[in-house]
Amino acid sequence: MKKKLLGLLLSTAMVASVLAGCGGGDAPAETPAAEAPAETPAETPAETPAEAPAETPAEAPADDAAAATGDVTYTGELEIMHYSTSEESEGNGGSDGFRTALGLWDEAHPDITLTQNVLANAEYKTQIATLAAADDLPDVFLLQGMNTIDWANQGLVYDLTNDIKSSPYYADYNQAYFVPFTVGDSIYGYPALTGGTCTVVIYDKAMWKEAGFDSFPTTWADVEKASEYFGGKGIITVAFGNGGKWQANSCFLSTLGNRYTGPDWFMSLVAKGGAAFTDAEFVSSLAETQRLFTQTKIFNEDFNVVTNEDAREYYISGDAAAFIGGNWDESYIWATLKEADEEKWNNMGFAVLPQPADATKAPNSQNIGLGYAIAINAKLANEPEKLAAAIDLAEYITGPEFATYVAENYALGGLTKVADVDLSAFDQITQDFYNWSYVNTETCEIYDSYITNAVWDVLNTDLQTMMNGDMTPEDVAANAQKAYEANY
Amino acid sequence: MLNSIKPKGKTIFLYLLVPVAMFVFTVFVPLVTALVYSFFEWKGGPQKTFTGLQNYMTLFADKTFWEAFGHNIYLVIACIIGQIGIAFILVIMVNSKLVKLKGMHRTFGFFPSTISAVCIGLIWNMIYHNQYGIINWFLKTIGRPDLCKVWLNETDKVMLLVSIPLIWQFIGYYMVIMLSAIASIDGEVFESAEIDGANGMQKAWYITLPLIKNTMLVCITLCIAGNMKAFDNIFVMTKGGPGTASMVMAMYGYQISFNQSNMGYGSCISVGIFVLSLLVIGGSQSLIKYLTREKEA
Amino acid sequence: MKKENENNNGTHKVQKGVAGFFMNFVLIVFSLTCIFPIVWMIYSSLKEKRAFNADIIGLPEKPTLVNYTRILTNTDYHLAESMFNSVRTTFLSILLIVLFSFIVGYILARVRFKLNRVLYVMFLMGMLIPIHSLLVPIYVVFRNCGMSNKWYTLLLPYVSFGLPMGIFLVEGYVKAIPVSLEEAAAIDGSSFSNTLWKIILPICKPILVTVAIIQIFSCWNEFSFALVLIKDVALQTVPLALTQFKGQFASDYPKQMAAMLITMSPIVVLYFVFSKQIIKGMVAGAVKG
Repeated sequence: MKKKLLGLLLSTAMVASVLAGCGGGDAPAETPAAEAPAETPAETPAETPAEAPAETPAEAPADDAAAATGDVTYTGELEIMHYSTSEESEGNGGSDGFRTALGLWDEAHPDITLTQNVLANAEYKTQIATLAAADDLPDVFLLQGMNTIDWANQGLVYDLTNDIKSSPYYADYNQAYFVPFTVGDSIYGYPALTGGTCTVVIYDKAMWKEAGFDSFPTTWADVEKASEYFGGKGIITVAFGNGGKWQANSCFLSTLGNRYTGPDWFMSLVAKGGAAFTDAEFVSSLAETQRLFTQTKIFNEDFNVVTNEDAREYYISGDAAAFIGGNWDESYIWATLKEADEEKWNNMGFAVLPQPADATKAPNSQNIGLGYAIAINAKLANEPEKLAAAIDLAEYITGPEFATYVAENYALGGLTKVADVDLSAFDQITQDFYNWSYVNTETCEIYDSYITNAVWDVLNTDLQTMMNGDMTPEDVAANAQKAYEANY
Repeated sequence: MLNSIKPKGKTIFLYLLVPVAMFVFTVFVPLVTALVYSFFEWKGGPQKTFTGLQNYMTLFADKTFWEAFGHNIYLVIACIIGQIGIAFILVIMVNSKLVKLKGMHRTFGFFPSTISAVCIGLIWNMIYHNQYGIINWFLKTIGRPDLCKVWLNETDKVMLLVSIPLIWQFIGYYMVIMLSAIASIDGEVFESAEIDGANGMQKAWYITLPLIKNTMLVCITLCIAGNMKAFDNIFVMTKGGPGTASMVMAMYGYQISFNQSNMGYGSCISVGIFVLSLLVIGGSQSLIKYLTREKEA
Repeated sequence: MKKENENNNGTHKVQKGVAGFFMNFVLIVFSLTCIFPIVWMIYSSLKEKRAFNADIIGLPEKPTLVNYTRILTNTDYHLAESMFNSVRTTFLSILLIVLFSFIVGYILARVRFKLNRVLYVMFLMGMLIPIHSLLVPIYVVFRNCGMSNKWYTLLLPYVSFGLPMGIFLVEGYVKAIPVSLEEAAAIDGSSFSNTLWKIILPICKPILVTVAIIQIFSCWNEFSFALVLIKDVALQTVPLALTQFKGQFASDYPKQMAAMLITMSPIVVLYFVFSKQIIKGMVAGAVKG
């Protein structure tokens, strides 16, 4: 089941990795994380300690020597909090890799008692927010992009800039991933897990062919035309689920907005460089979103009630001809169809969002990135040995060990680039999605990896109302701008 | 309260010491802490800025909060009528000698309130589901597909639709309470009433109800308190949506505190919920006292 | 329940037949809807995730125990440990809730002292605390007192937040008991404590059983306090352990249900096995005036 091709954003520029072992591209076995793959564990404890120290001491700045080398002298407890539950890892390559790498590190450091506090994602967010509020964060944790500025300004997270720059793997890091975790010139985390798109159109090639389209339309006008055909047959043209309120933002607007505003607008918004939610281009993207969801018959009428999990079932069952979601949906649909309906699985096609008629920018773009980074409690600055251990851990679980594991088993990528992922071992659909994700499309930013959750929560709630036709795009933009000015 | 029951002050003090101390520590210390936080601008983390009454001014002008308050009041009324009213009728029925399987009804009725909100939410989402739901299936079967709707997306009906599962789930809870209260009534009262020719309805209204009046008041209080801080079921079913159409106060407070990391304002909302609940309960109790006094007069 | 006198008046027979049918019908429908969720959970837990997602209400076409075997063989889930924690926490909480509710409820109902109404209102306030938005202050208070993340940590909130309801139910119940009982006891020279434990306690049994039943499930299912106050995996209660079955973007509901059923089984079995006694306890304490 696990194929998962989420992200290897790296794409072309893969540099030779520190790790050469592990023959390429074994088809992933159906292994629960608990009994992690046989190959990797055997090799790594021996390799890493030997290699890392050899490279780094020379590079590390003197004042930071302990922290930057792989020499871990600390003994005692180290606490890490994360959300890669064993359930999560069964459907998610990044999570599986994370757990595997964490286990290997733990094994290689018998003098350190690694305490893992693992909660499911929703509960993790609640508990970590409580701990942050009480200034009682664990030693090592996962920092969400949209919390970075708030927590960094509060002095809760350790400034890792120098450590990252002196990391043995620095040359292989995909620099773009650091942006959401950067405040000014300081970087506060090692981006973790795997990167993948948040907005992909998955469509059934056979169904669209019948409707007269050789591939998914590139304009919404054509999709509307197709919706007449599909509507006549009682089929949903495109399935979408916004019942959780976050999907419209992450899996639609973030990409559609870019088509109107271009990437500079958003970066200006992030940098407080003068862009505003009320700018005409962004409001146009809201208006187009509203039009598509209220005035056309493209989407399932219950899009505001069902979640993405329900909506993708419409696609799987053939009730919908296409579906819009993220890489996590793609991997679920892939696995389900592979087992249940090989023919439909073979017909899976991938496309970017169609271009709106009045949008002028980046027609081939989709949003991709890493949402969480390994961060370290600022209080560890007082315990250099423990800090060094924490940094070593962070570098390890985002480093080549992890990257190689997810690349070979899932065709996925994380912070560290891996050389020569041999795609030929993967099936055609997996290769298609890989190429779609990393090679054939432009990328843009995932809105809610940036700024602050106070803004997105307001926008998400209003978006849901707007997509029901009960609020104007102008009001939505004005509220978001108000929240932005008050909280950012 | 009688002269015959006059324990020493010390005895009372000793009996009350542990429960009251524990209660005050767990319930009031955090509440007072929240009250303190509510005067600060606090985004979580060690830094807080004292802003005086700023949060409260925001609260007074916060349309979403007052909309949520209205939803809570709606829930309170719906649940007093639905939960307590239906529970009372069912209890009278269960106690009727015409009814078989009393034990089964008593045992089963309580079951929904033991099940986690996630499962209840899933089941009801299926009932309301646009494509596969039971309601729309029924409407299609009787030849009225025009009445089919995306139920939970109906802004003006969504509060009603989320109240129904809530009512259904907790009927058994109040049934259990009322059953035990009725059990304390002397059966002879009913026997003599029956000799006087009272029918089932009359017995329920004129004998049972007045005799369990105290328990009914407790039920109403529990019902108000529970619904002023309602959270779980609605969170699972709609997350407060569409937009804020089914937002309730506790969910709004949670959303502000955790989804928006605005702990200062979130604390202010908690205080607001607490004060408003107190007012509603106080108001309802005086109202009930006023109404029952009238009846006795 | 007291048997009512048989009314043999013939003219009422038809009417009674109709009323009886109607009442039985309504109650059976109601009971069936109440039991449905459990039945649904049981048969859904026999489905695989994909079969469930494709049709969440239908019966399983190919029933499978795979969810159960997966749960019971995966050591990450530490269900046994968490069940032990839940049993301990729930048992002690219920014991304390019943004990304290009885004492405080009785005193508030019967003893006249200055702070009586103050205490009453104070406990009333306890029911109005919106805990979901108070999680942070609660965490801060507990941590600053060094009381978070201990085996007894959860007893405090569970007992404290369970108390108001118990106290009100006992208070309301005691008020309905004729005072003549206590007067007679006092005349016989019974002390306050003696009256409390020997005379009042047996009379209050139905309401105390009720309090225990209502609270047992809310303690068992409680989530928010457990989430913020317990960090140590070894101290997690069942609802927290169950979060291990959730993913960020996908939930394996049938597996979650299997896990819920496994973890609920002790109390559900207890409840069914003892339901006769429980019901008896609840309804068999009628006081003779």
